[in-house]
Amino acid sequence: MAGALHFEDIKEGDEAPVTSHTLTRTDLVRYAGASGDYNPMHHDEIAATAAGQPSVFGHGMFSMGLLGTALTDYVGAGNVRHYQVRFSRQTWPGEELSTKIVVTSKRVEDAGHLVDLACTLANADGEVKVVGEATAVLPSRG
Amino acid sequence: MSAAEPATEVDDEKFLARLKAFEGRTVGAPTEGPDAVNQAMIRHWVEAMGDENPVYVDEQAARANGFPGIIAPPTMLQAWIMRGYKATAELAEARAEGRRAVGASPADDLMHVLDEGGFTSVVATNCEQEYRRSVVLGDRLSVSSSIESVSTEKQTGLGIGHFITTVLAFTDAAGEPVATMRFRILKFRPGTGKSTAALSGPPTAGSEEPRPLRPRPALTHDNAFFFDGARQQKLLVQRCASCGILRHPPRPACAVCRSFEWDTLEASGRGTVYSYVVVHHPQVAAFDYPLPVAVVELEEGTRLVADLVGIEPDAVEIGMPVVVTFVAVDDELTLPMFGPAPA
Repeated sequence: MAGALHFEDIKEGDEAPVTSHTLTRTDLVRYAGASGDYNPMHHDEIAATAAGQPSVFGHGMFSMGLLGTALTDYVGAGNVRHYQVRFSRQTWPGEELSTKIVVTSKRVEDAGHLVDLACTLANADGEVKVVGEATAVLPSRG
Repeated sequence: MSAAEPATEVDDEKFLARLKAFEGRTVGAPTEGPDAVNQAMIRHWVEAMGDENPVYVDEQAARANGFPGIIAPPTMLQAWIMRGYKATAELAEARAEGRRAVGASPADDLMHVLDEGGFTSVVATNCEQEYRRSVVLGDRLSVSSSIESVSTEKQTGLGIGHFITTVLAFTDAAGEPVATMRFRILKFRPGTGKSTAALSGPPTAGSEEPRPLRPRPALTHDNAFFFDGARQQKLLVQRCASCGILRHPPRPACAVCRSFEWDTLEASGRGTVYSYVVVHHPQVAAFDYPLPVAVVELEEGTRLVADLVGIEPDAVEIGMPVVVTFVAVDDELTLPMFGPAPA
């Protein structure tokens, strides 16, 4: 890992490195096993189409985790205090999902040196799948 | 009640009362997850996610980053208390047979009531997590869950349904709080969606219909400059060439001095939310919902109506500083929209 990100290293408007991931059905099977979420809509094509879905689709929590990975890669694992998302669209196998994380504000409070971040996950057409926000506490050199 | 029989209003009220009875219900004692936090499950999870952070798999790297040992990814939280495949399968079997599964929770019972009401499909809509400390190898997490709210019937893009919000409080073996999670789902009637927009379908689906375009502005001699400006990433405001008053939306004459002479001013794009609404209904397929729309007061002094982007509808506040961003909504149309201004 690169050196830990400090409060003084960032300013409003800064963006975290983009991470991209092309979703596969195998990802969904792996994630079902890893998370314990066995809703058949996410791995059983027959059940999903019978329920009126065009195919299996990604777990919302998988999308939240993908975006969370980019978040922890940027601010450091263990530094995220609050992370909330809205699942605006379903994700589909074959889609390339890319993260966008922007620093929206910095503040110093009793809780420490806090940064707020706007987080989105979108496909290659720019269709937003997940929109969220996070707050992290960063170490300070001060 | 089945989806085929139209419900009467009395039925609807009874059904809603059944749903509302679940609000505030909790599962008695905290329930312990099936296994301690362990390396094998963490490895499965980070591999599924493509997360290569070494603090989740390498003791030395974790210590070098200030942790007491290997930690679990924060968003993996829920995995430690999921009941697993066997219990999930038993629950599905019981539901199919119309009986209550052994160990069914109030949340399971609520799902059953909704299934009976024809709201058989489910999709996650929101998740919020707050972390008190990192979860470490060996942690035994327990969860207390409660049903925070059950909405009235809502028309959504996916269909008619009810939003269910559940709160999960995670504690460790000592009973100390570790994290909380608020999770909202939509249980909806399949096939009752008003819009195809929310369900765009996979890129490979042959039956996929292209998303309809946004309505076109009616271009006139007076307003064409505004949309031309937006295409060039400029926010242009009409200004009376006689008295200098700004006006929007564009129109032929000055309301103050009645002059027909006008030019344009390039606005800074900075402003504040003067007023706003969040549109839920009616839904038009070309738009995403809920859709926050604001009256923005520009720092130059006039106001305009625009979509808000990059902000949760709940977070919009009157008076908040916003800044313009130009969104190419399709190949032909670029519109100024506003997002939260960096402080």
